[in-house]
Amino acid sequence: MNAVQYDKKLRLQLFIILCCSAIFVNIFGDYFTRFLLSEIIILSLFAMSLDFLAGRGGMISLGHAMFLGIGAYSTAILFINFNIDPFLCSLLAVVIGLIIGYLIGFIIVKTDGIFFIMITLALGEMFHSWAYTNDFLGGSDGISGILRPKLLGMDLNEPLFFSYYLLILLILVYAFLAAVTDSPLGRNLDAIRQNSGRVLSLGGSVKLYKSASFGISAAIASLAGSLYAQLNGFVSPEISHWTVSGEGLIMIIVGGIGSLSGAILGAVVVHIIQHEFSKLVDWWMLLMGGGFILVVLFLKEGLWGLILKFKNYIIENK
Amino acid sequence: MIISLQNISKSFGANNVLKNISIAIDKKECVGIIGPNGAGKSTLFKIISGSLFQDGGSIIFNDANIDKLSIEKRSRLGISQSFQSNSLFNEMTVKENIMVACSQSFKVGWELFKSLDKRTNIITKSYEIAEEVGLTEYLDFRSDNLSYGLQRQLEVGLAIANNPSLLLLDEPTAGMSNEETKNIVKMVKKLSTYYTTIIVEHDMDVIYSLTKKIYVLDSGDLIFDGTPNEVKNSKLVQERYIGIKQ
Amino acid sequence: MFITEILNALQFSMTLFLLSVGLTIVFGLMKIVNLAHGTLYMLGAYIGLSIWTFSDSFWLAFVFAPIATAILGALLYKVLFKFIQRVDPMRQVLLTFGLIYIGLDSVRLIWGSMSHSITTPELFSNPINIFGETYPTYRLFVILVGITVLLILYFVLEKTKMGAMVRASVDDHETSQMLGINTEKILFYTFSLGCGLAGLAGVTVAPIVGVEAGMDMEVLVLTLIVVVVGGPGSLKGALIGSLLIGFVDTFGKVFFPELALITIYAAMALILIFKPGGMYSRL
Repeated sequence: MNAVQYDKKLRLQLFIILCCSAIFVNIFGDYFTRFLLSEIIILSLFAMSLDFLAGRGGMISLGHAMFLGIGAYSTAILFINFNIDPFLCSLLAVVIGLIIGYLIGFIIVKTDGIFFIMITLALGEMFHSWAYTNDFLGGSDGISGILRPKLLGMDLNEPLFFSYYLLILLILVYAFLAAVTDSPLGRNLDAIRQNSGRVLSLGGSVKLYKSASFGISAAIASLAGSLYAQLNGFVSPEISHWTVSGEGLIMIIVGGIGSLSGAILGAVVVHIIQHEFSKLVDWWMLLMGGGFILVVLFLKEGLWGLILKFKNYIIENK
Repeated sequence: MIISLQNISKSFGANNVLKNISIAIDKKECVGIIGPNGAGKSTLFKIISGSLFQDGGSIIFNDANIDKLSIEKRSRLGISQSFQSNSLFNEMTVKENIMVACSQSFKVGWELFKSLDKRTNIITKSYEIAEEVGLTEYLDFRSDNLSYGLQRQLEVGLAIANNPSLLLLDEPTAGMSNEETKNIVKMVKKLSTYYTTIIVEHDMDVIYSLTKKIYVLDSGDLIFDGTPNEVKNSKLVQERYIGIKQ
Repeated sequence: MFITEILNALQFSMTLFLLSVGLTIVFGLMKIVNLAHGTLYMLGAYIGLSIWTFSDSFWLAFVFAPIATAILGALLYKVLFKFIQRVDPMRQVLLTFGLIYIGLDSVRLIWGSMSHSITTPELFSNPINIFGETYPTYRLFVILVGITVLLILYFVLEKTKMGAMVRASVDDHETSQMLGINTEKILFYTFSLGCGLAGLAGVTVAPIVGVEAGMDMEVLVLTLIVVVVGGPGSLKGALIGSLLIGFVDTFGKVFFPELALITIYAAMALILIFKPGGMYSRL
């Protein structure tokens, strides 16, 4: 799968614009818009983790929502059963996601293409079914009573603060992923996606690179899951259903696969269509499916490609 | 002696592709392997690089047995190869292609996370490599936008990025025009002064002008070895190889 | 009890076989997986429902619903798939992913979001006694449909010229094109036939499992598992995969009800880890 044109500058510019609009919405919004904003930021984290995996490493996972679930459930259990501070819960969720992700990655990265999609789908569904039937995890009801952290004297149960908290995390994760993308690890992942045989013959540890990036991606998805649990105050097995992974994929394709900030844009667009249009019209799924097909057919680089064209147009006409 | 192949044999089913081949190559030597189609050149090449494993015999590289090592581990020991058909990173520029190749020498660890664009040593290194394979002007071209001949040059560039102690070139002039062939022969000639090189080649003129020693394979047997002049004058080779060609 | 379970497993396996056989051959030919295959299964059931409601005859539905989905498949192929053959396979898979949403919403808009049921045809309304256990005859009929399709497909693929061409195209697309085989045409017919079989599966199991939006997803995941486990492109793989998944699922539910849904995924993960190309890989 081809990724979008690599443009570090535009990536940052787009990210800054998105962050500014988030701050704007947060200042002037009400309770509901702030909640929506929080949801979008969390989904952006998830979309970025998937974008890194699919766009850089060429590993299209249809089971990535498993790591949302792992993050959310570990946060819930650590908080409810072990009384650990909510902020620490999120940190631990990241570590748990990283370890589980690396181990799973180590086993499955030798499969490729459609087989990789299938095995991730199977693992994701396994986790979903397990969570659904496991009494310790609350079965189909899930676990409720999860609280948000209190940081620096601010109670994040206040929506305004929580959105800012999420935004800071988004910036940190973005900076981290952008750095990894430009690092030898990221460039090698790119190379592996384009021609893994050559990387092997140059002496690169393809398996290590791939499983490491699977772990990184899982850790970020796990963070998103942890935050989602804190946003809603509860977690249910639905969070790890394969359609959630599918929606994540739609987000990154719409945004422009491999562009990182395009993934955020995709999350914004898809989530707004999903949640706002569903209130207005009865046929939002038709709209989403049809729009998605059009993007796949005619906009190879997604919205990112459009923005890039627009930017080049402005530069040429200056 | 840098590498020695001892009694290498390989068969695919009932077909014996290589029969007891023994070759020893000294440091800084540049040798050629020739033979008609189906003589087993490519198979031998793949066995040296590690993409195929031999059925019998062993390979000693720098006094160590490397029979069981994968392509990736052999590459880390210094056996590097270029491919017969271009195998590049198509979505990357020439510079990025070479930088990725150079970055394989990093140890696993935090080093992997520091931005590649700020590694001055890697960047200088990639400029040097580009210079050696004549691609300085094309550093910022995407590799799939290069002409075929330039892509072949980059193909060799990737192979020398990690200072290999043994360079394997698989038909470096495959599919090239006369002009392009001249360029690459000049380039490989220069490279073969610093690297121990094994060249598999179809084009006899190329092999005669590049190598000091030539091994001739025919249906799995090593039938002759000697200097270019000896090969040219050998009746046996003429019968088996050049005769077939004409 | 034991015989009932074996027959249930066999019936489920045959349904999976009807679904997976089209998918696996299309994968062999095009190297893409049609994620909307489950949608056609669902449409088969819904179209069957409408025909049954209007005509009051299950048999009309049984005959015409598969034909309708085959035509839908043909349209889909002409409109979408023909265009995207040069696009990379991953993109094609994603495109079919979009179709799932369209299918789900169309079904909801046309038939509403209620779940429906089709009554078992009169011919099979009485259960039968097998070795002292009563068993619904309709389920036996489903097994029979599966076996019939299997035999016909086997005959066509192994004994006819058309079948030989399909096999050649699966094995080596380019060479068969050079040999003058019209791979395009083969692809078109195989794709439509696969969609028809998915519709057949939908209408056949409708009296057992009912008709509702969302039935596509359940079955899609299982079908994909069958295809991958069996090894894409292989008829034998589809059969063995269907039997394996059908039996593991049915008996998994009997012996480990706690882990009911996990057993098949675990089986698939294990097979893929040890045989990354599936059991009868042709790749």
